[in-house]
Amino acid sequence: MRIRARLDRFARDWIRRRQGPDREAVTLRRGRIYILPTGLGAAFGLMLFAMLLGSLNYANNMGLALTFLLAALGVGAMHACHRNLETLVVRAAGAEPPFAGNDAVFRIALANPGRAPRCDLEAVATGVAHAPLAVAAGGESVFSLRVPTRRRGSIVLDRIEIATRFPYGLFRAWAVLHPAMQCLVYPRPAADSPLPPQAPGLAGCGTKRRGEDDFAGLKDYHAGDPPRHIAWKAFARSDELLVKEFSGDAEALPVFDLADAPGPDLESRLSVLARWIVDAHARGMTFGLRLADGEIPPEPGDAQRRRCLAAIARFDAPAPDVA
Amino acid sequence: MRLPPMSPEREAGFRRLVWTTAGLVAALGPHILRLQLWVSAFVLAACIWRLIAERRAWPMPNALVRGLIAAAVTVGVVLGYSTITGLDGGTALLALMSALKLLETRGPRDHTVLIFIGWFLCLASFLYVQDVLTAAWVLPTVWLLAAALLVVSRRGEDGPALRPFRTTGAMFLKAAPVALVLFVFFPRIAGSFWGAPSAERALSGLTDEMSPGDISDLTLNDVVAFRARFSGNLPPPPQRYWRGPVLNEFDGYTWYRGDAQPIPRSAVTPAGAPVDYTVTLEPTGQQMLFALDMVQDWTSGVATQSWDYGLRTRKPVNAVIRYDARSYTRYRAGAGLSAALRNLSLQLPPNRNPRTVELARGMRSAAGSDAVFVQAVLNLFREQEFYYTLTPPGLARDSVDDFMFNTRQGFCGHYASAFTTMMRAAGIPARVVGGYQGGDWNPVGGYLIVRQSHAHAWSEVWLPNAGWHRVDPTGAVAPERIERGIEASFAESDLLPGGLIRDSALLWQAHMLWDNLNARWNDLIVQFDRTAQEELLLGLGFDDPGWRAFATALGIGLALAAGLLALWLAWEFRPRRTDPAAVTYRRFLGRLARRGIERMVGEAPRDFARRVRRLRPDLGVPALAITETYLRLRYLPEPAAADFRLLRGLVARFRP
Repeated sequence: MRIRARLDRFARDWIRRRQGPDREAVTLRRGRIYILPTGLGAAFGLMLFAMLLGSLNYANNMGLALTFLLAALGVGAMHACHRNLETLVVRAAGAEPPFAGNDAVFRIALANPGRAPRCDLEAVATGVAHAPLAVAAGGESVFSLRVPTRRRGSIVLDRIEIATRFPYGLFRAWAVLHPAMQCLVYPRPAADSPLPPQAPGLAGCGTKRRGEDDFAGLKDYHAGDPPRHIAWKAFARSDELLVKEFSGDAEALPVFDLADAPGPDLESRLSVLARWIVDAHARGMTFGLRLADGEIPPEPGDAQRRRCLAAIARFDAPAPDVA
Repeated sequence: MRLPPMSPEREAGFRRLVWTTAGLVAALGPHILRLQLWVSAFVLAACIWRLIAERRAWPMPNALVRGLIAAAVTVGVVLGYSTITGLDGGTALLALMSALKLLETRGPRDHTVLIFIGWFLCLASFLYVQDVLTAAWVLPTVWLLAAALLVVSRRGEDGPALRPFRTTGAMFLKAAPVALVLFVFFPRIAGSFWGAPSAERALSGLTDEMSPGDISDLTLNDVVAFRARFSGNLPPPPQRYWRGPVLNEFDGYTWYRGDAQPIPRSAVTPAGAPVDYTVTLEPTGQQMLFALDMVQDWTSGVATQSWDYGLRTRKPVNAVIRYDARSYTRYRAGAGLSAALRNLSLQLPPNRNPRTVELARGMRSAAGSDAVFVQAVLNLFREQEFYYTLTPPGLARDSVDDFMFNTRQGFCGHYASAFTTMMRAAGIPARVVGGYQGGDWNPVGGYLIVRQSHAHAWSEVWLPNAGWHRVDPTGAVAPERIERGIEASFAESDLLPGGLIRDSALLWQAHMLWDNLNARWNDLIVQFDRTAQEELLLGLGFDDPGWRAFATALGIGLALAAGLLALWLAWEFRPRRTDPAAVTYRRFLGRLARRGIERMVGEAPRDFARRVRRLRPDLGVPALAITETYLRLRYLPEPAAADFRLLRGLVARFRP
């Protein structure tokens, strides 16, 4: 088993040196598709050898014909298996950041520019695989590889294999990609941590106040914006949902500060911050974030949640994990 | 009772099982009647039980039950076949293994084992018979099994509906040149790695012994014994004596070839024109070859001529073999008779058939010479009430006495046996010769078909001035048998096989066409051997058909065939013709991407254009215009050429 693992390591390093890093979209050409018989293929080969010996021994021409017909089927299966990958375009199609401990979802898109559909394609990363997919002729299918995460920061999908055993399962053809896809990993929200009290000092410095006194302009609608602020007239004109912004005196807007978050160490304090952000967003609140190295002014909506979570994920982050 | 619908996974599992079982049953097809009844019944029952069990979600038998069944069937094979290594026993074991495997089949691996067993069963049917019918059955079976492999090796259920039979058929077609090259140029070897297959098969045909009634039984068999293609003129029917084994030892009931000690073969002096021909002999399980009386030359190495002028092979003939031969229908053989052979040819069992012996001695003393005595015995058969019949009554232990004095009804074997006994009793060296007489001319293929129904037995007597001389006592009783064939003798009887076919000109013609197909099949495919390969290589321009020529031809042929396969696949997988509108639209996307605005996976063009407008209001109008024009070109049934020019112009001026 150890020899096997070392061989595997050696092959991986060799392939990496040979191919170099990959761009965002890679067309699978002959030079980067590898193919070997599977266990079933080896058994098939043994069966053919036994049939060959038997037919030769009994000088049985029809037996030989049968053996050669099946051997030809094997050759055809090998070519078809290789072809099943060739000219596919593999594209890194983004990733969904998870909370630490959840799965990061890397999306790999497979486009088939050919006229024949491709069947039973698998995507394999270290320890994770995706159910086989087909790609219709001229179509595109997307693998969502779910990679488990341990800690906040980021995770890199360093190496994936696109593989297939179609047809007959006698051979396995595969291509190795080094897409270096990175995905942020948000800190895991602390179990339960009430939002900090709305102390005047907290809301005071550096925050804008928003109210409903003066119309200040239009901005994109985000979930959580009060429906009565939606600019229906503008929607009728342009098909886009906009909301009116007003400036003026209103309640003080919270800015979550790392310094206010309780906890024994940085990670648990970041977790508390994550909890606050998640809860505040869930309540449709407008909030900001202040870390030791910068500040995000208060805003409502999904984009704000993403921004803030990304900021705490990146804050003084450890080196990315490699999946 | 209506069954509840299956879950998708169970349905997929059931579908896999149906494919595998169908392939397996098809592979068993040619063996069903050959296998012992209990084996066939057990395997078919296992198939049916398993399908029902799968449908109704019955539990599989546990390991103990399976082990007990496995032990029981193994004992059954050992008892029923007395061996498990021979072809019969091996086939039975394979079939039973497949049945046992069916009782525990769960995952894809179990299915593939069943499919492999199916392919081995196909091979086994060719080890039995290599004829057209078997091939016509086995080819679709192999196809079905490969389609089953495609079904069970499928990993995802997603994707286009798989047409396994069709996909596999196309795969076989693409790969056929590879198979053809391998078949033609893979060098055949002479000899075998391990023992030749044992002659355990029940092949009907002549053997090295003959009891009363053996040949008449054989006559009811319409199966082809061999086919002969003549390069010159076909000899007339009375000269078509195909010599087989000489039966020299008699125990009073049965004639045997016997284990004669080495006796030198005395010379043959041929006379007249030779007859050249090629015989394609069906498997006999015996060591004799058949040739026109008297054979003088034959394909070297196939056989040797023994002291009785019969051709003997070293090993039993268990596959179709072909040989050339040259015979002389007029000849003189055995001018000098050694003392040993004389003794052998006069041997009679003591105290058996006393009445015949007595009759022969009386007739010999009444006749003036051996020649006159021979004629007198033939006249006895002709003039007294002897009947030539396909259904002779059984005979007592002293078979010749019983025949001569009681039943007086006999087939050729009875007459040959009685005649030879009388000769020996009178002191004339004589022996029984087995073989075939006659043959059906196939006008379609231009060859003679000799069937088991043409089996015959005659006598040879040794006369001082003539040597070994053929005497056919059947000719005395039923001259038309020799002149016009066995069918003429029994025209009124419906005992002979194929009577219906012989009576109808159309059916007879069809039968001859079919036989010709089989003969060609034998010649071109079954008999494609090392010699034929070497001839082919010489014809292709190789000077020396040695291993170098084989390797070259195989290498070049395989490269060409694999190239053809690759080309075909490349054609199937060729890129779709790119739509020029799509190319132009992609250029637009590329320009935006360079400015950091990328279309996301699954984002529709219109949504993307709106996003562009939001991100870069200055690009909003051209982006929307390009997108709308592109969509018109892409999705309208008849896109306008003007739109394409417009799109190109818009994209050309689009400089984000």
